[in-house]
Amino acid sequence: MVTVAKCRQTVDAAAVAANRTIEQPGVFPFTRGIHADMYRGRLWTMRQFAGFGTPRQTNERFRFLLSKGQTGLSTAFDLPTLMGLDSDAPQSAGEVGRLGVAVDTVDDVRQLFDGIPLEDVSVSMTINASAAVLMAFYLVAAEEAGCDWTRLRGTIQNDILKEFHAQNEIVFPPAGSVRLAVDLIEFCTRRVPLWNTVSISGYHIREAGSTAAQELAFTLADGRHYVEEMLQRGWKADGFAPRLSFFFNAHNNLLEEVAKYRAARRIWATMMRDEFGACEPASWKLRFHAQTAGCTLQSRQPEVNVIRVAYQALAAVLGGCQSLHTNSLDETLALPSEHAVTLALRTQQVLAHETGIPEFVDPFGGSDCVETLTEQFCDQAADYFEQIADQGGMFAAIDSGFFRREIAEAAYAEQRLIDSGQKVIVGVNRFEEAVDEPIELLEIDPTIEREQVKALHHVKATRSPDAVRQALAEVRRVTATDVNLFPALLEAAGARATVGEIMNALADALGRYTLERE
Amino acid sequence: MPACETLPASVVSESADAQRRACRIVLAKVGLDGHDRGIKVVARGLRDAGLHVIYGGIWQTPEAVAQAVVDEDAEWLGLSLLSGAHLTLVPRVLAALDQAGADDVRVVVGGIVPESDVEPLRQAGVAGVFGPGTAIESIVHLLQDSAQVNREFEQIPSERNRPQLQGVASSSVATGTARSRQCLSRRLSELSDAQPAVEQQSTSTCNGGSKPASSRRTIAFAGSAGVGKSSLIARVVKELRRREQRVAVLACDPQSPLTGGALLGDRVRLTEVFPDEGVFFRSLAVPSGHQGIAPGIGLMAGCLHESGFGTVLIETVGLGQGDVAVRNVVDQVVVVVQPESGDSIQWDKAGLLEVADIVVLQKADLPGAGRLQSELADTVNVPVVTVGRDRPDGVGELLDRCVVRR
Repeated sequence: MVTVAKCRQTVDAAAVAANRTIEQPGVFPFTRGIHADMYRGRLWTMRQFAGFGTPRQTNERFRFLLSKGQTGLSTAFDLPTLMGLDSDAPQSAGEVGRLGVAVDTVDDVRQLFDGIPLEDVSVSMTINASAAVLMAFYLVAAEEAGCDWTRLRGTIQNDILKEFHAQNEIVFPPAGSVRLAVDLIEFCTRRVPLWNTVSISGYHIREAGSTAAQELAFTLADGRHYVEEMLQRGWKADGFAPRLSFFFNAHNNLLEEVAKYRAARRIWATMMRDEFGACEPASWKLRFHAQTAGCTLQSRQPEVNVIRVAYQALAAVLGGCQSLHTNSLDETLALPSEHAVTLALRTQQVLAHETGIPEFVDPFGGSDCVETLTEQFCDQAADYFEQIADQGGMFAAIDSGFFRREIAEAAYAEQRLIDSGQKVIVGVNRFEEAVDEPIELLEIDPTIEREQVKALHHVKATRSPDAVRQALAEVRRVTATDVNLFPALLEAAGARATVGEIMNALADALGRYTLERE
Repeated sequence: MPACETLPASVVSESADAQRRACRIVLAKVGLDGHDRGIKVVARGLRDAGLHVIYGGIWQTPEAVAQAVVDEDAEWLGLSLLSGAHLTLVPRVLAALDQAGADDVRVVVGGIVPESDVEPLRQAGVAGVFGPGTAIESIVHLLQDSAQVNREFEQIPSERNRPQLQGVASSSVATGTARSRQCLSRRLSELSDAQPAVEQQSTSTCNGGSKPASSRRTIAFAGSAGVGKSSLIARVVKELRRREQRVAVLACDPQSPLTGGALLGDRVRLTEVFPDEGVFFRSLAVPSGHQGIAPGIGLMAGCLHESGFGTVLIETVGLGQGDVAVRNVVDQVVVVVQPESGDSIQWDKAGLLEVADIVVLQKADLPGAGRLQSELADTVNVPVVTVGRDRPDGVGELLDRCVVRR
């Protein structure tokens, strides 16, 4: 791991001075930020991830957040939806509406965004294995509500590669999964031009225990892979790259995190321009969402989490994020309560409006320490890119378990440091309290599952079975070809086919992922 | 629960004192949640503390977990849930354990569990709940308190260790089939413990043989680490099940010479097969100096045959030159190789190839496979079967070639 102490010894003052004079914010390679004026021109988007229970309940939470001054929406789906299962599937028992909102059909998406002006509020959806299905639901719901697709703004995560590295929300084998993701990228690039077609995510890689350097390298390697897939389909980089977006973790080590974001921008801009021949500045700019690190939250003395989150948010803002989620203090215990989520949002508002930090652009630019850390991150990422290439590329490295192994090693090394007390976690292995003050938690109503299944059965009873059958047959047919299957998904969505039905139709052609290669 | 029939005291007494069995724990995630950082870190930590950890991985059903506990003869089960579904899924696992007759296994839970849910879990019979920030040491502490007590088969408590669950069927639901499976599993542990005293005995230590000896076969899979033995075995198991044959797997992994701990992770590859009464899977730790197979493995294979598992597959710990002991306990040795970046057959591999009855060339679709295949043809006098993405029928061919007894 890069450490500040180490960089103090190895700093090359001349090189640092050279960087300082060369790099400017808003100018290639954008190390210092993608805009010349950064937050002076426009603040970051405060986007709290939310979702639980039925679509109606999450719709209420969305309206609550907007009323408190939040500026964008971010949707959390429940595990059955993320895994492409209906709420009445046997495997869904106990999980419906628990970690996010349950969605089975287009009607649930309509309910979810009921009364929210989709042409004015940007919407983020965190979903991967079933991303194409949910995006089809969203577009059909928007169309039925009279919205123009060309005016929709938002992001779908749609980053299946990091699921293989870290988060395990996987349904299809790697190649089929990536084809689905790239079909979405291709379709939305053409038809929903303001939409971010993928959010290439390091967040989950870091949460799974990686180092900052691994987070950086694996995320950009994933980004490179999506670009290569699009180029193989005959696209020019400038045709789609401006709508690729990123998602990074904001962890504890403040200066290291700032340097990580700076390095990410520099590497991406250089790669897009010099390797992939992108000519437009919009294609070079790495835009990213940041979320404070869930894995650093502690269940002991939970109020201390507020302080951790504040410092992590500070790192994200000093690092030039475009949008930010701040975690709630109670998330090691349950989904956040309204009180906790308000406090988390207020943390960002204080940062934006009271600290004065948005007045300055990349305030660490030129600092010996942060410039050197930035350099070191670039070098470490280059080293990982080489290791991945040496193994035969992304799929070969996934196949051999390279990413999982690297991440698991780092996670275990960290746990040993904590267990031995070499790494201090306040309130956990030092400064403990005998009794922690209890805090109020959100409870998920167990009747949600029944309510959601009832809604699903109602849709099934009122739709046209013939239209569903035909639409699913078309999904199967197109999946077996090389044709972009997104239009077929839109048809199926419109016919009120369920998430589970569509995913099963896809699996008939793509196969299912098994843990044989774990 | 009635005690299982045991080996004669003369056979087991000496060895039971001589070496205390390492505490065995199955770790698994039930439900859909894939957050496996915690469970993987705990698995490593417990191994380093000297336990034998059977890693079951993600996406397990309650019934598959129960089968793992029985087949692996584990004293402990560790469940990890970060999905918030613990109050639904943990009681289902406990009920499945009762169904399988494993009501004496002790259960710990880790993950995101609010304080208010800890007591209901304890009431249901969970021995410990560990949240974020738990030091591995505190888990080890709880588990090893039990490891001090060596389990005697005759002393399995007749009443439940866990209190009755509300709304869940009682423990008497365990069927005769479940009980005999549990007895088989414990017998395997005995055979493993009783080494080497029992090695001299006849192999007929099990009752209830259901098939004539001629239809029984034991196949060993050898080859260097990372060559894909486990994946191949998973495919062979699926093919055998497709042919409606019962199969047992004895999967060997190395035991740490320093701590005695072991991390046994081969079950994961058969996740979607379990639960399946027709597949018995036992993970075994191999102490150093045991030539790549666990002590007593030949007797275990015999025992499994007599219990109706016609085919027994043994995964070795990657044999090296000179490790030929496996030849004495199996009908066929399958040596697994795969194309590697540009190198030809090395001499150490050539040593391994000498013990082969069949060579399997894995990943035959990778570059370099053709070259390796022609080199093999020049080097070995046994059949070479290729398996790869473009050779889906290779596994079937392998099985057909394994029919003839040596």
